[in-house]
Amino acid sequence: MHPTITDQLSDYLDGELTADEAAALEAHLRECTACNAVLNDLKRIVAQAQHLEPRPPQADLWAGIERRIERVTPPRRVSFTLPQLAAAAALLIAVSAGTAIKFAAPAVPASAPVEQTANDEPAQAEAADSIATIAVNPVGFSDAQYDAAVADLEKALKAGRGRLDKSTIEIVAHNLEIIDQAIAQAREALAGDPANSYLSGHLVEARRRKLDLLRRAAALAETD
Amino acid sequence: MAISGETAIQPGVDSDVALAARGDASAFERLYRTHVTRIHNLTRRMLGSHDADEVTQDIFVRTWQKLGQFRGESAFSTWLHRLAVNVVIEKRRSFAIHRERMSDDPTALDAVTVAPARADLRVDFEAAIEQLPAGAREIFVMHDVEGYKHREIAAMLEITSGTSKRQLHRARMLMRKHLGGGQAEPPVAGD
Repeated sequence: MHPTITDQLSDYLDGELTADEAAALEAHLRECTACNAVLNDLKRIVAQAQHLEPRPPQADLWAGIERRIERVTPPRRVSFTLPQLAAAAALLIAVSAGTAIKFAAPAVPASAPVEQTANDEPAQAEAADSIATIAVNPVGFSDAQYDAAVADLEKALKAGRGRLDKSTIEIVAHNLEIIDQAIAQAREALAGDPANSYLSGHLVEARRRKLDLLRRAAALAETD
Repeated sequence: MAISGETAIQPGVDSDVALAARGDASAFERLYRTHVTRIHNLTRRMLGSHDADEVTQDIFVRTWQKLGQFRGESAFSTWLHRLAVNVVIEKRRSFAIHRERMSDDPTALDAVTVAPARADLRVDFEAAIEQLPAGAREIFVMHDVEGYKHREIAAMLEITSGTSKRQLHRARMLMRKHLGGGQAEPPVAGD
């Protein structure tokens, strides 16, 4: 057996070698029965690994799971109907168009900076790609900063409310209500489980989404 | 597209997923019974029998908590499996094994007991997996059993593809040694 050759056998088996490397290895394998035997063993091991038979757990684990999920917050899904999604899409398109027109102008009050992150949800990222992003400054999520940013955006939205049509106002209000519910639920859950990093992340994300929605709506109101 | 980032489950997705996502524990129990064997097999093979039950329970509790984030963009089983792998990786990190498991220890081959018992090769194969060093076992299971690519493994474990490949080869050679070093041919499943 040749260690320098056998070290390449897994890569060869998985198609990870270059054509030249593979050709050199195959030339060696034609001459070396020992390395060939190793290759055949590895092939059998891989094949067997791919066809392992499933084995259920020896004990039923459900009772323990059931006890635990009774103590944690049940899943909450914020659902939109198709008309709502269509309306939301229309809103974002309108924001995109409006923001594109006013790209050079400040679209958000300076006192209401909003975070624009790279790790937003894919749908938001897609929307952001199509939007000429307004100038933003990062914001932390301590309550004071957050509340101030929300208050400023709500004020800007209220000021421009007359420039939005009724259906858009209703959609924004409805979605704000949903997000506020999600924030309230996350806060409530965190009160019972303050160390839960998932819940903390969920709360931060929900608050970020509220800011994002307010920012978009305020920009729309300003540009209409 | 969703303003809040959380969309409704799309039509065609298992109704139990939809019900469980709305807090229906009975539906979630049905999901558990459908998927527990695969998830338990994953945890047992990656972490060993000792921790498999507890971590499987952790995975389903995490699933319950995260169901609201399932968008139906992939099969539920795929989403659950990826979540399970992530939980297993977290567990391994919390066990403080992560650093030492990735060392390319040249003596690792000697650390494995050679027990070429061949009376029950299927069980023996599982036992051989369990005897692999932690890092090699993790990558062997993810690549050869679960079908992940090296680049996916590298991303999930925060290692390089080269390390993943080396660990995989090491694992296969250890399996070969444990299963008898090529003295006899283990049957392929289905033989």
